[in-house]
Formats: sequence, C-alpha cells, structure tokens
Amino acid sequence: MKQGFRQSMAWLHTWAGLVTGWVMFAVFVTGTATYYKTDISLWMRPELRAEAEYDVVRAAELGVAHLKVHAPKAMAWFIGMPQADNPLIGAYWMDTPDGEIGKALLDPATGAPTVARATKGGDFFYRFHYELQMPPAVGRWIVGLCAMTLLIALISGIVTHRRIFADFFTFRRSKSAQRGWLDAHNVTGVLALPFHLMITYTGIVSLSLMYMPWGMVSVYKGDELRFYAESGQMTTWRAAEGKPAEPAPLGPLIRRAQAEVSEPLEMVSINNPGDANATVVAVFEEPHGLAHRHPQIAFNAVTGEIVERTGPLKPAAHAYTSFVGLHEAHFAGPALRILFFLSGLMGCIAIASGLVLWTVARAPKGMVRPAFGWRLVHALNIGTILGLPVGMASFFLANRLIPVDLAARDSWEGAIFFGSWLAAALIPLARPHRQAWREMAYAAALLFLAVPLVGWATTGWRTDFLGFDAAMAALALVFVLGARKVGRYEGPRREAARATGDLARA
Amino acid sequence: MTPLAVSLTCLLSFSGLACLCLSMDRHGRTLFQGRPSRQRDMAFRVAGWLAIALAFSAAIVTADWNFGPVQWLGSLTGAALVVVALMSYRPAWIRPAAIAALPLAMATAFFV
Repeated sequence: MKQGFRQSMAWLHTWAGLVTGWVMFAVFVTGTATYYKTDISLWMRPELRAEAEYDVVRAAELGVAHLKVHAPKAMAWFIGMPQADNPLIGAYWMDTPDGEIGKALLDPATGAPTVARATKGGDFFYRFHYELQMPPAVGRWIVGLCAMTLLIALISGIVTHRRIFADFFTFRRSKSAQRGWLDAHNVTGVLALPFHLMITYTGIVSLSLMYMPWGMVSVYKGDELRFYAESGQMTTWRAAEGKPAEPAPLGPLIRRAQAEVSEPLEMVSINNPGDANATVVAVFEEPHGLAHRHPQIAFNAVTGEIVERTGPLKPAAHAYTSFVGLHEAHFAGPALRILFFLSGLMGCIAIASGLVLWTVARAPKGMVRPAFGWRLVHALNIGTILGLPVGMASFFLANRLIPVDLAARDSWEGAIFFGSWLAAALIPLARPHRQAWREMAYAAALLFLAVPLVGWATTGWRTDFLGFDAAMAALALVFVLGARKVGRYEGPRREAARATGDLARA
Repeated sequence: MTPLAVSLTCLLSFSGLACLCLSMDRHGRTLFQGRPSRQRDMAFRVAGWLAIALAFSAAIVTADWNFGPVQWLGSLTGAALVVVALMSYRPAWIRPAAIAALPLAMATAFFV
C-alpha cells in the first residue's frame, strides 16, 4: 500500500502515542503535582508549623550531633537546612558510594527526631514521576524510553496536524464525540506545545548521563565525581587519610561561607567525617537564573581553611543545568508556577484525550462485541485516567486516616495509593463501559472532596492549607463535570445507533 | 518576576490572541453580522500581532532575556486556553474581554 508522508506520520503518531500513553499520563500527572511538592508535603505533615527564619548554624550542629551517634562510620553526612516550605532538618548519610542513603528528619528546635507523622509527602509523587516506584535503574529506563517515544509522537503529531493554525482556537464541543475528543486533543496539544516539547526533552536530558553514559565512562573511568567537579557542578571529592582528627567548630566555617554567597544556605555536607582529611562543603540555593546550579564552598574540616569554590559552569554544563532548571522551574514565582502547572495539566489532558480518541475512533457500532485489543485499550484507559486520580486522592486520605504511630506508616500510604489505583482499574472491568467511566469519575470526585473534609475533621482547619483544599475541591468539580458529560454525551449517540440498527463498522 | 509582571504579559497575550481569533473566518463569522470583510480581518490581525509583540517586550523588560521568553510562552498558552474556552462557551464575551484587557494591562504596567 502506497502511503503519503503525512499518513505514515499519522500512523507513527497514533502508535507511538498509544504504547507510551499510559506511562506518560502517570508521569505527567505526578510530575505536574510536583510543581506544588512543598505545599503537598506541608499538608501531609500537619504537626509542623513553618517559621520565617532558622538559625542555620544551630541546625547544622544539631544535624552533626545526631549523625555522630547514628552514623559514626558513614563516608559522608548531608545536613539539609530547615526552610519555610520544609521546616525540618534533614540528616542524611551514605555508608558506601552506591549504597542506600540513610535519612532522619529532625526538629529544628530540639534536634530530636521529628514528631511529625512518617510520610514521604510530595516526594512520593516526585520520585514516582521518574522512577514509577520501581528499582531506580528500571523505573528510570522505562520512563526514559517512554519519554523518547513521546517525543517522536509529539513531532509526528505536529507533522500530522495539517490545520494547526486554522484550528488553533477550535473546540467544537457540540459535534460528534470523535470531533470533540479530537479538538480537545488538538487544543491542549497545540496551545501548550512549547511546554510539551520542553518538558519531554529536558526530562530526557536530566537523565541523559544515565541513558548515554559512554562519553563520561570512557574519559573518567569510574571516577564520576571528578566529572561533576571538573564541569563546575560540585567541589572535588577528597579521599580519607585514614587517621582520625578533631574537626574545627562548624559555626565559623558556615558564617565565612555565608559572607561570600548571598543565597540562603541549603545544605552542609561533611565528607569523611572524623578523618584528618575531612571536608566540610557549604551548598547554597540556586542563584536566580535558569541554570539548576548550587554554589559550593569547601573547607578543610580540621584546619578550617577554604580549599575550593565552585567556579562558573563550563559551557556544556551550563547548557545541561539550564535544561534541568527549565524542567524543575525552581525559578518560577507563584504566577509563573500557575502557568507551568496549567501547561502540565494540558499535557495530561492531551495524553488522556489521545488515548480516549483511539477507542472512540474505533468504537464498535451498535451491538457488535468489541475486539480484544479494543477492550484492552479501553480497560487500560479507564484504569489509568481515572485510576491514578483515585489512587492519589486515597493517598491523601490515607495520610490523615492511618494511625500516626503505625510502624512503617509511610509505606502503608504508598500501599494504599497502589491498592486503590488497582481497585479503581479492576472494578470497571465488571461494568458496561460507559457506566464504568461515569461511576469511576464520581468515585474520584467523592474521594477528592473527602480530602479537605477529612483533613478538617482530623487536624483542624488551617488558612495555610487553603490553597491545597481549594485545589482538591476544584479537582472534585472537574471529575463531577466529566462524569455528567459522559452521562449526557454518550446516551443519545448509542440510542441513535440502536434505532437505526447500524451494524456497519466505521 | 512578580505576579504583576506575569499578569501584564498574560493580559497582552490574551488581547492579542483574541484579536487573531476574531480575524479568522470561522470564528469571526459566528460573532459579526453580515459578510466578513477583508479590511476588518486585516485590522484584527495587525492588532493581534502587535499585542503579542508587546507582550513579548513586556516579558523581556520585566523578566530579562533568560526568563522573559519562558514567561511569554507560558502566558501565550494560558491566554490561548482562555480564548478557546470563551470561544466555545461564551463567544459573545470575547470582544469585550479583549478590549477590557488593554486598559487593565495599562493599569498593571503602571504598578510593575
């Protein structure tokens, strides 16, 4: 069969989009939620109240005191400073270069482990959006391959869309179901196209050293830390001498570093703690700029002299960190953040409408029993597009309803996320498919509405949670409208098909 | 990059995109009585692109060359979404909204 260029691109767009759509929908939804990661984390730890300012020297000393007792043999300690949007001291340690990173969250006032409930907070969605809660190497490869395929789907979609300018503002909601879905897909895809291309591309780039490590591997031969140091992203790793030595007091070092850099202190890391060649590195927040770059100043921990400062980034590193910076949008203030969030939502809708469109365009007419492939896609569609929101709402509810002192509490939250997602994907299999959409959308709406209500009932009403509560209510409204739309929209069409006895396949 | 600067870029983008939308045959016909006139379409088109260019310069002035383009593209996306929503739910509001956005933008520019 002879095909034109545009037809073959349409074929590519359809299938590249279909095979990656479910994974990428989950990635886009959780990634979009990550733009409000700190707000989610604050809501999920209602015991905490943020203060305007923290004594970073005291925080670092409290962190060191904890780590001296709990991780005396670690090769590196990292102490994250408490901040207004994350009011805890993060004490992390690393025993081997490739091992697990240990973690304790401390109260900035006392230095004792926090009384806040154990939860992963917004980090759960953040990690999920590039690791899918799988072993990191597996999850990142799956997300990466899907993102690369999505990039192909984006570009072939642009080629396929012959009326990109003529239909720029067109959303015909009163015509046929297929027309409506196609317009929704086009509008959300085209209007936020700069965002879609940027976020997919920069997402792949942020993990590019994992996907294509060969250049770095062949030049640095396993000494990857030197790569980051030479490209100006961090200070050099200094090996331990093997002899113990008493470290200099931390306070003066931190104050000297603060005198050089105007940004707030983000983290203090101590490499080879207790060793004669130990290093203290003060890591600062990103200066206001596109690049995702953290200025660092390294001290000899024993003598207290400055041994290194990260200089300006090398050009390639600057390009790379700018891509990562664009992806994360740390620079975005509240207004620009809304636009990033909105664009992310449009990405979710573009993917979801594309997946639905596949089934709508191939919907069996009248009483014909749909083929297995169609039923599979349909089941996966509803299981992902509505199952994931059900899972997310249940995750928030679990945060308030699981007893605070339950062992492995944060894992239970995750288990409830996946459990309710699975349930929301399986229940519709037993229902006629249009009712299934409607019922699950109502279920999602109810759950999202329950989140602020259960929050008020369990931990009281708080003005600083107003934004979160409003977002949950808005999501509930979206799902109610969606459910009503399904109810209204599909009815007449099916009756019409039945009335005419039209059994012909489209 | 204050919220005001972003609002300014959004308002100008909205006005511009609404004009471009009205300059298009399909959308213009649903809003204006009578035959579409080439002259009117052209006027809307020029006004639309002017407002979009103005939005770009506003973004560059308020957010510089590294964030300006990001702010401008984001604003265009947000504004276009509003135009589409109005076009399919409240088409009659487009023209007054596009006109109202201009003095609002000027007032905002005053405070940026």
